[in-house]
Amino acid sequence: MSKEFLGEFEELVLTMAGILQDEAYGNAIVNEIKARVGRDVNLSAVHVTLYRLEDKGFVKSKMGGATNVRGGRRKRIFTITNAGLSMLRAMKESRMDLWKLIPQLKMIGI
Amino acid sequence: MNRNFWFRFLEWFCPPALYEGIEGDLLEEYEADQQERGMRKANLRLAVNVLRFFRPGIVLRNRFKFELINTIMFTNYLKVASRNIVKRKLYSFINAFGLSIAIAFCTLIYLFVQDERSFDQFHENKADIYQLLTTQFDPEKFKKGEKDFYSSNPYMPAKLGEVLLEEFPAVQHMTRFNNYNQGVMRYGNKNFTQKFASVDSGFFNMFSFSILAGDRDKPLRKVSDAVLTPEVARKFFGDEDPIGKTFTLDFDGRIVPMTVTALIEAPAANSSLTFDMLVMMDALPWFQRSRPNWGNSSFPTFVQLLPNTDPQQLKVQLDTIMNKYQSGYKAGWREWLKPPEGVEPRVFTYQNLTNIHLAKGVYWDRNSDPMYSWILSGIAVLILVIACINYISLSLTTSASRRVEVGVRKVVGAQKKQIAWQFTFESLMLALGSMLIGLILVLVFLPYFNEFTSKGIELTYHSMLPVIGIAFLIATAVGLLAGSYPAVFLSGFLPALVLKGRFTSKLQAGFTKPLVVFQFFLSACMIICSVIMYRQMNFITTKDLGFDREQIIVVPTQTGWNAQANQTVAALRNALKTDRNVVSVAGVTAAFNKGWSRYGYKIKGENKEAFVYGVDTDYISLLNIKLKEGRNFDGRTSDSLGVIVNEALVRDMKWTDPMTEHLNWREDTVGLGSPVIGVMKDYHYMSLEHAVEPMFISLDNGMLTNILIKLTPGNTPDKIESVKKAWLELYPDRPFEYTFMDEDIAAQYDKHTRWSKIMGLSTIFAILIASLGLFGLSGINAVNRTKEIGIRKVMGAKLTSIFVLLNRQYVLYAIIAFVLAIPLSWYAMNQWLESFEFAITIGWQLFAVSLLAGLFIALATVSYHAIKAALINPAETLKHE
Repeated sequence: MSKEFLGEFEELVLTMAGILQDEAYGNAIVNEIKARVGRDVNLSAVHVTLYRLEDKGFVKSKMGGATNVRGGRRKRIFTITNAGLSMLRAMKESRMDLWKLIPQLKMIGI
Repeated sequence: MNRNFWFRFLEWFCPPALYEGIEGDLLEEYEADQQERGMRKANLRLAVNVLRFFRPGIVLRNRFKFELINTIMFTNYLKVASRNIVKRKLYSFINAFGLSIAIAFCTLIYLFVQDERSFDQFHENKADIYQLLTTQFDPEKFKKGEKDFYSSNPYMPAKLGEVLLEEFPAVQHMTRFNNYNQGVMRYGNKNFTQKFASVDSGFFNMFSFSILAGDRDKPLRKVSDAVLTPEVARKFFGDEDPIGKTFTLDFDGRIVPMTVTALIEAPAANSSLTFDMLVMMDALPWFQRSRPNWGNSSFPTFVQLLPNTDPQQLKVQLDTIMNKYQSGYKAGWREWLKPPEGVEPRVFTYQNLTNIHLAKGVYWDRNSDPMYSWILSGIAVLILVIACINYISLSLTTSASRRVEVGVRKVVGAQKKQIAWQFTFESLMLALGSMLIGLILVLVFLPYFNEFTSKGIELTYHSMLPVIGIAFLIATAVGLLAGSYPAVFLSGFLPALVLKGRFTSKLQAGFTKPLVVFQFFLSACMIICSVIMYRQMNFITTKDLGFDREQIIVVPTQTGWNAQANQTVAALRNALKTDRNVVSVAGVTAAFNKGWSRYGYKIKGENKEAFVYGVDTDYISLLNIKLKEGRNFDGRTSDSLGVIVNEALVRDMKWTDPMTEHLNWREDTVGLGSPVIGVMKDYHYMSLEHAVEPMFISLDNGMLTNILIKLTPGNTPDKIESVKKAWLELYPDRPFEYTFMDEDIAAQYDKHTRWSKIMGLSTIFAILIASLGLFGLSGINAVNRTKEIGIRKVMGAKLTSIFVLLNRQYVLYAIIAFVLAIPLSWYAMNQWLESFEFAITIGWQLFAVSLLAGLFIALATVSYHAIKAALINPAETLKHE
């Protein structure tokens, strides 16, 4: 596990997939990132990242049901796997550990 | 560009599994954009988005994944393939045998073609070296209506090269090159006849034959200088250092001392220029005599232009020289050749050094016809096709045993593609295995192949690499080609049908039938061609030539063209008079296949041509040439004026009573010319490729440089030994050499003999491969019908009727194939026979013989299985039901 790393963008997309749960598909993630972080990201980049995450086993995908919108095309729904969740958790924890090592006094001094 | 285009584009590059999800997301965004920003913006953003999806992460996704599975299955394929090969030994053998022979054939032909193309490529200055040509109007070509009615030959006036070198600054070097000089070379007690070439000093600057020892700077400085190849040097000087050694050269009636100044690398097998020994042009007295004469064209000439000179300039210069120095001859040529108005009777042209070898129209001693490369390639492809067909039809007809395997593989989850790949892999494996055997065959058969095609191809470590490359390419192509149809066919089985066991044991692979017919067709073509070629070769080698050719040896006088020759003949005849081994001795200017001379003369304003042979009184009786009228030369002194003509000349002159006529061939303005004292029946003094043309013999025409000696029948080597003894007593310093006249005559057809041999051999291989394939097929066919045969036998069918039942279809195929093959081979063979003036006629008998031979071979191959199947006890085959 420790040998796998996530890039910054991968982590962002994986986090969004975790947040959106059953509604996590390409476009929704793009919109969610826009809404929560304010970043304009490209749809294709999100797709490629999702597939890469799938290859690494952090998300699973399945085709959702047909809808009336989007020309009747089904959505590819990505769900975060346990491995994905623990990866996110591990990354968060290691970052917190590092964060704790930064001397807080300096902040006050400013 | 509307959105549909972009979606189609997306669909094209996007893996199908991902397409729907992506398309949906894009559509959703598109709809949102449409509402927020309007139609145009939305379209634009869609295009940008689609283009952004065109990235490796999407396009290449999953492609490698399939590859991964294939490599995983690799070991399995390998295992199954090798098990199958071992399990069906006979079929594997048939396939491997056919393919390896075909690959070996193709590789050898590749080597041949490569060698043909490699001629003279080793010269560093090859791009700038040109051979000059005399190009002359050819009335015969013109009469036949050919567009190019010129014929070229490489014989130029001696002065031409010199004038070019002097007057044309772009000509850097020049050499003339005559390699047909011959003399007797003596050193110590060694004397041999030795051919030598005469060249100019430019030779060493132009051509890349390296000087191995001696004067590298200017090897030929004096007329007495000679440059030898190491082989000749070894022959005369053994292990001594040849440089500076002096020997004598006896030629043209003189004995001159020569000094070895250098050793030169012997020309390679793929060099158009061949020589053993080089001397200066000026060393030849006849060169010095004919040098100032612009009317004597006898000297092949090469020039080297400055680098990057447009050879068109050379042409302009040649035209200028033609007008300046040879305009005086033009009227004569015009009268002689009678070209139509506005057509030059003769011009000078040139060709690049590297074109000499394949310029078949221009006489040069080693050149060849590119046609042969094509024919050989054609044969190789035929054999390859036959072997491929074997593979295809055998794997189709034996596929029954693989069906369950295909079914199980599919049930377990193999895709059609994978199974196709598996079978392709198997055929590739077989082809590559055959390639290894084929390469070994190439190594083994290369010496024989060289002998057959009279080539000197060598396989070195260095040249092996492209050969392996070519063999690999052929093998891969064959593997893919032969493997693809069975692969598609076998992978198409429906697993449910196959595994339920509801397929008949007989396989209906309809495609194999045309394949077998096609195979028969190819074999039939080759059989017919071989039979015709064999018959023709047989015809020309056994045809009555109008004279006796047995027990005659031909001995050159080794004197050159001078009066000594005639004395030699007389002296030898005298010495052999009492020898009981010798019937008679005669002298002649040119023996069979050893040159000829042809005179052109004018009689009553009409151009006539006739071959002329100088003979002595014993010539006609020795060869047993029949006289139709008149008499042979006898001792009378007036006979030296007379001529004996052949029937063709009588016909040509339209003489009614030839014995009263005179032949004024020396264009004597005072007298009547030579009286005709006899008429010979036509005999074939030239090869059977030519008609018997007007010819006469005379006692007084040139030097008798060849001695014909007729031996009594019986132990020939002993008799020759006795002649040799007599010769050496007379002329201890002249080498005794001899050839058999019948062999000389047969040698005229060397080229044809070689090709009929090659054809015969290829046919044998083609038939062998095709028969093996047929053998396999008929075996499968018999096994397929075992039950049917059992039932028929129970019902009372006779052995013969079962035999007929099993073989009927093959006979039918063979007949269809032969009917198809007849017109094609008839056409091809007619073309070939046209090169002979005397040829067999292609009658139906030849085709019948070929058909019978083909049928016999086919029946012999299929009968084994048919008889075996017919003899099985029906109880054996039916009891399992």
